[in-house]
Amino acid sequence: MSAVLLPEAIHQDLWRGNQLARARSRVVECGDTGLARELPGGGWPRGALTDLLVQQTGCGELRLLRPALAQLASKPVVMLQPPHNLQPTAFAWWGLDPANLMTVKAPRTADALWAAEQILRAGTCGALLFWQNHVRPESLRRLHLAAQASESLFFMLRPLATTRDASPAPLRIAIRAATDGVDIQFLKRRGPARDEPLFVALTPSPILNVKRNAIVDRRPSAVVVPRSVPAEVVA
Amino acid sequence: MLEKERVIASDAAARAAGVCIGMRRGGVLTLAPTTLMRDRDGAAEVNAVREVATGLLNLSPQVVIAEESTVLVDVSASLRLFGGIRSLRRIARRVADAIGVSATISVAPTGQAAWLLARYRGGAHLSHDSLGRGLARLPVNLPPPARRHLDWLTGIGCETVGQLMRLPRAGLKKRCGTALLDLLDRASGDAPEVYEWFETPPTFQARVELPDRIEHAEACLFAARRLVVQLTGWLSQKQLAVTRIVLRLEHERGRDAIAPTTIEVSLAEPTWREDHLVRLLKERLTRVELAAAVIALQLAVQEVREAEAASDSLFPEPGGTASDHARLLELLVARLGPENVLRPAPVADHRPEVAARWVSVTDKTKYVAPATDTPRPTWLLEAPIKLLMRSERPFYGTPLRTVSSGERVEAGWFQGEPVTRDYFVAVGDDHICYWIFRERIGAVDDDEPRWFLHGMFG
Repeated sequence: MSAVLLPEAIHQDLWRGNQLARARSRVVECGDTGLARELPGGGWPRGALTDLLVQQTGCGELRLLRPALAQLASKPVVMLQPPHNLQPTAFAWWGLDPANLMTVKAPRTADALWAAEQILRAGTCGALLFWQNHVRPESLRRLHLAAQASESLFFMLRPLATTRDASPAPLRIAIRAATDGVDIQFLKRRGPARDEPLFVALTPSPILNVKRNAIVDRRPSAVVVPRSVPAEVVA
Repeated sequence: MLEKERVIASDAAARAAGVCIGMRRGGVLTLAPTTLMRDRDGAAEVNAVREVATGLLNLSPQVVIAEESTVLVDVSASLRLFGGIRSLRRIARRVADAIGVSATISVAPTGQAAWLLARYRGGAHLSHDSLGRGLARLPVNLPPPARRHLDWLTGIGCETVGQLMRLPRAGLKKRCGTALLDLLDRASGDAPEVYEWFETPPTFQARVELPDRIEHAEACLFAARRLVVQLTGWLSQKQLAVTRIVLRLEHERGRDAIAPTTIEVSLAEPTWREDHLVRLLKERLTRVELAAAVIALQLAVQEVREAEAASDSLFPEPGGTASDHARLLELLVARLGPENVLRPAPVADHRPEVAARWVSVTDKTKYVAPATDTPRPTWLLEAPIKLLMRSERPFYGTPLRTVSSGERVEAGWFQGEPVTRDYFVAVGDDHICYWIFRERIGAVDDDEPRWFLHGMFG
């Protein structure tokens, strides 16, 4: 029966279980073709809560977001409750302008949640990155609602231990470090389940001052074994 | 409410108990012994009317304080700005609620007619025809010049203003004087009206005494709102925007006089908007610790600037304007404190902990762009962590393997804190890169090289 309408032809918000959702242009490109193929809409969603569950701080989470942050141009980027100090020089090295960065620290969790909501409601920031270990699901839902009213990118960075907690985020990603990049596991997305992790190469590599002489030093010297010469050559 | 020992006003509960206008104090106490009785305070009434007039300056610069606690506002020029008569009435109602008075609001094409309607039950009569019908229904004792002749008027069966207007003018003039005729002419629009507009003082300072002692700073917000409404009225008449205001909380006088708690609000972006000022004051009030109970609030303006007219662009940017962002920053600073809302201010220094400087957004330090050719990790630890050594390798969870040649940082000797470090990038078994350094051998009297973890690559 060719007369049956395909669900994806009826409306762009409909998709089959084995397809990826096609968001309506409200995405920011993620800068990696392999990752873009696996993300619904082909990029990081604007106006929605995105959960990034990181193995530990420093496993490559900010370099993964670097292409997206570069596209926000001169919009402010707010780092809420960062776990350590940020070095502006690192952003300058990546080619981003550190003048747009802003760090907000909050003495209490309630203050941090309040600040996140205010930043999202004002909608003047290009991206909000929020580090918080324990958040109640109702607070997450509230933040997700606030994010829907704005056009900013909103990432919650939480430890891997919160994988099993409920979250209203339409996109949840676990990030683990790998050689020269990160392994990404899709915990939840609008699309088919994918169990095997996806490798995403990250640039620039932190290993910059490569040991050029180290390879020479470490090369094992040829072991001279006089007796190993075949007998016929000797003869 | 009593004046000269006679009841002049009462609430619904008192009326239900049988209290009538004109009763004596003793009579009221006999009927309802628990009644709260207050003496009329004329000065406070005049003050309240002035406060309402100041607040109503939000609607129009042409405000008159009329007799018998009535405020007239000429809104004919403000109709389009505020989006019609309904929203104007809503704003006027909000101002009255903020000041804390119960108001009757009326709208009419002439000021005198609006006054008469407001003195009776309020209501809106927008056209002259409907105004004529509305005026005709008013009781005859409403116009002040007619009250002296009330006995004569009721004697001839004249009970409404409509009947009064139908009486022959010449006879009415002879018996009641010209004042009554002039008033009726002004009300119906036949005679011109002349007003002396309300003048505001050149500086703004308002004070409100609280009805009770207040122990929590948050509870002062309703009174602060009353002051802010007046402030915005004053600002919009003067066409000014405020950049610094001071709210003083006056304390109850115990054995010693306590200096008032001062809350100073400085704004980066001049504002005249009530909601923004109230939100800022609310966040500041939640952070204030009170030394004693508060009995009065005082709001004073310290710095003003010429207000710039809001410009509406044809295609508004989706991300909001720069002033929206400035308002967001002010709000964050008000609640979290200026030391918690930071912007980068990198310093050209080789020591990473000095170079990565963050200052408050309220700080006026000039931003100097950092060098773009220095590779640095994103995260810098607050203090370097000394690493364990296992089999000649630094150890942090897993043994670390250095994968880069060293970068020597040697600086700070000019400030008495010499730093002599060799930085390396190291990789653990879990592929995470770390930024570690080794204190240079010879820098300290120690044979063992000491390794520290100082940063992580985000």
